[in-house]
Amino acid sequence: MEGTAASVGMTGVAPPGSGALGRRQRGRLDRIGDRSLYVITLAAALLSAVVLGGIGYEVVHGASASISHFGLGFITTNNWDPVPPHEVYGAASFIYGTAVSSFGALLIATPLSIAIALFLTELAPRRARTPIGTLVELLAAIPSVVLGLWGILVLGPFLRDHVEPGLHSVLGWIPLFGGDQSPVGLLPAMLILTIMTVPIVSSLTREIFLTVPKESKEGALALGATRWEMIKTTVLPYSRPGIVAAVILGLGRAIGEAIAVTQVIGGALGIHANLFVPADTLASRIASNATGAPTALNLASVFYLGVILLALSVIFNAVARLIIRRMTLKGS
Amino acid sequence: MKKHRLFAAACVAGALALTVAACGSSSSSTSSTGGASSSTTLVGAGSSLVLPLVSKWVPDYAGKTDPPVTVTYGGIGSGGGIDAITNRTVDFGASDAPLSADQASACDNCLQVPWALSATAIAYNVSGVDNGLQLTPQIVADIYLGNITTWDDPAITKLNSGVDLPPTKITPIYRSDGSGDTYALTDLLSKISPDWKSQIGTSTLVKFPVGTGAEHNDGVAAALGQTDGAIAYLGAAYVSTNSLTEAALQNEARNYEEPTVKAISAAADTVKSVPSDNAISITAPPASAKDAYPLSTFTYAIVPQSSPKADALKKFLTYAIDPKGGQTFGPDLLFAPLPAPVLAADKSTIAKIGS
Repeated sequence: MEGTAASVGMTGVAPPGSGALGRRQRGRLDRIGDRSLYVITLAAALLSAVVLGGIGYEVVHGASASISHFGLGFITTNNWDPVPPHEVYGAASFIYGTAVSSFGALLIATPLSIAIALFLTELAPRRARTPIGTLVELLAAIPSVVLGLWGILVLGPFLRDHVEPGLHSVLGWIPLFGGDQSPVGLLPAMLILTIMTVPIVSSLTREIFLTVPKESKEGALALGATRWEMIKTTVLPYSRPGIVAAVILGLGRAIGEAIAVTQVIGGALGIHANLFVPADTLASRIASNATGAPTALNLASVFYLGVILLALSVIFNAVARLIIRRMTLKGS
Repeated sequence: MKKHRLFAAACVAGALALTVAACGSSSSSTSSTGGASSSTTLVGAGSSLVLPLVSKWVPDYAGKTDPPVTVTYGGIGSGGGIDAITNRTVDFGASDAPLSADQASACDNCLQVPWALSATAIAYNVSGVDNGLQLTPQIVADIYLGNITTWDDPAITKLNSGVDLPPTKITPIYRSDGSGDTYALTDLLSKISPDWKSQIGTSTLVKFPVGTGAEHNDGVAAALGQTDGAIAYLGAAYVSTNSLTEAALQNEARNYEEPTVKAISAAADTVKSVPSDNAISITAPPASAKDAYPLSTFTYAIVPQSSPKADALKKFLTYAIDPKGGQTFGPDLLFAPLPAPVLAADKSTIAKIGS
């Protein structure tokens, strides 16, 4: 009996007509297999929930000293002075930096990614699709610290010497492009984040475009639509919720990126309507202040920044889900 | 059948173990107590400033001990070193700044041993000005406070009559992460500038009112190299390795000094007594030290008083501070010899380990 079970277990196929005993054996094995599959997958699913809960608890627990000391005023205070007796912390400037750099990055990355995805699904010659798509996805494989180093050594000086003077002379009347040029600041951070989000958003968008029913596209073309009209009337409306979801995923990546941003943003306080000046983001300030905090309140305040970052991520995810649900309802 | 069951059980157990490990990660106070190897391996981490020096010590020390004692050291930065020894994930930490009050209480009976002596350099990048710029600590304070904003400011041109200084805007570069160099600079500036002392203060991490932040010494070096008109402070050894230009700083005797072993030693020779926590400040030494570099600084090993590897730690630290041992590698790497009062304090501190 032992032998039969082992052989059944090994081959996984019950020979046809091996008798009632074999079939019963088989059924029991299946039940055990199903149950263990259920337990294993349940454990995996629970694991992520437990880890998330654990992280959330630890971050809030670590921040409790700062939360009770500064309260909600922390969010609107634009200061970060770690030296007693004038020790005071606030997140306003980092929230601003995070918002401007991530939204700015997505403002550039979204049209770029949609264009890449359209080209790869609708316009590119079939033979060119795979190599170009792979190259775009390879962008995501660049370690962020390498991207940051490239940002400070190559991109930053290039922007300061060639891009920022041009922007300044043409659009200098807009505060965003006024002021001094610098190799570090919001603009290089924004562009580094663009490079990091394009592969994510474009590959997701491409997958979404591939799900557009062929019949709709062919129908549009049969009615005499040009290729652009076909894209406008079938591909884009059908994919809208998916694109939004892809963009929100990209936003999550941009908001949380720390190392590359730390290297190029210039770690400075302040809320300026200027893209050229040094600034800082939540994630970047956490990265640069996380080790060797000189005071206990400093460490707690770094955790408080973590709480805000975590809350922002949850809010963005919820908003994304809402948008997708509403759009899907409208679409159908 | 048994195989299946075993496999499933193993999977579930594995998943559970992962879960438990993830939950229990909050208190990482497990020290590395390896059984037989505990007497022969020392793990350290911290200051990147002393990394070149410790890298010389490691093979030399292994050759002098029988059986050879392996020391590994990660130059993860002073802040990381303090955190690592506070959580006892290493056997010793290293920091260029002494522990702050909060850090000392979190570290729970840690001893600090000043085990090397170096300096923080003031470097600049002004096109057309190759070397030899002379600055006073007051000017450095005014630049970092935003009171002096161009290189042709009268305060600077007055001191550098032979140099043709351009009207370039000054970009002060500072460390955005906690740093022993920031501590040394702010310690000096707090001593000579009342404004600095009241507005900014002394710490490894301060709020700079103007300028641009950069990560770590190499980030500072990169930002400095990329920015015309920039001024920065960084570990003295980084100036030559990154071919940067350093300024001579005026000391209390009104002489201008660059960070050389001789000028650092002159500053350290002013130490007559050592406080009980071994935190020694030798910035802005008295005018009697005529050749002293005013921005010199000690760097510290941080060890727990009670350690399972107390004996090995004692021996290694004794070797490190020995003028005929570890200190012989210093001068080539811009580390000056430890002065006698500091050596004596080190020896009595090392004796406390494990007691």
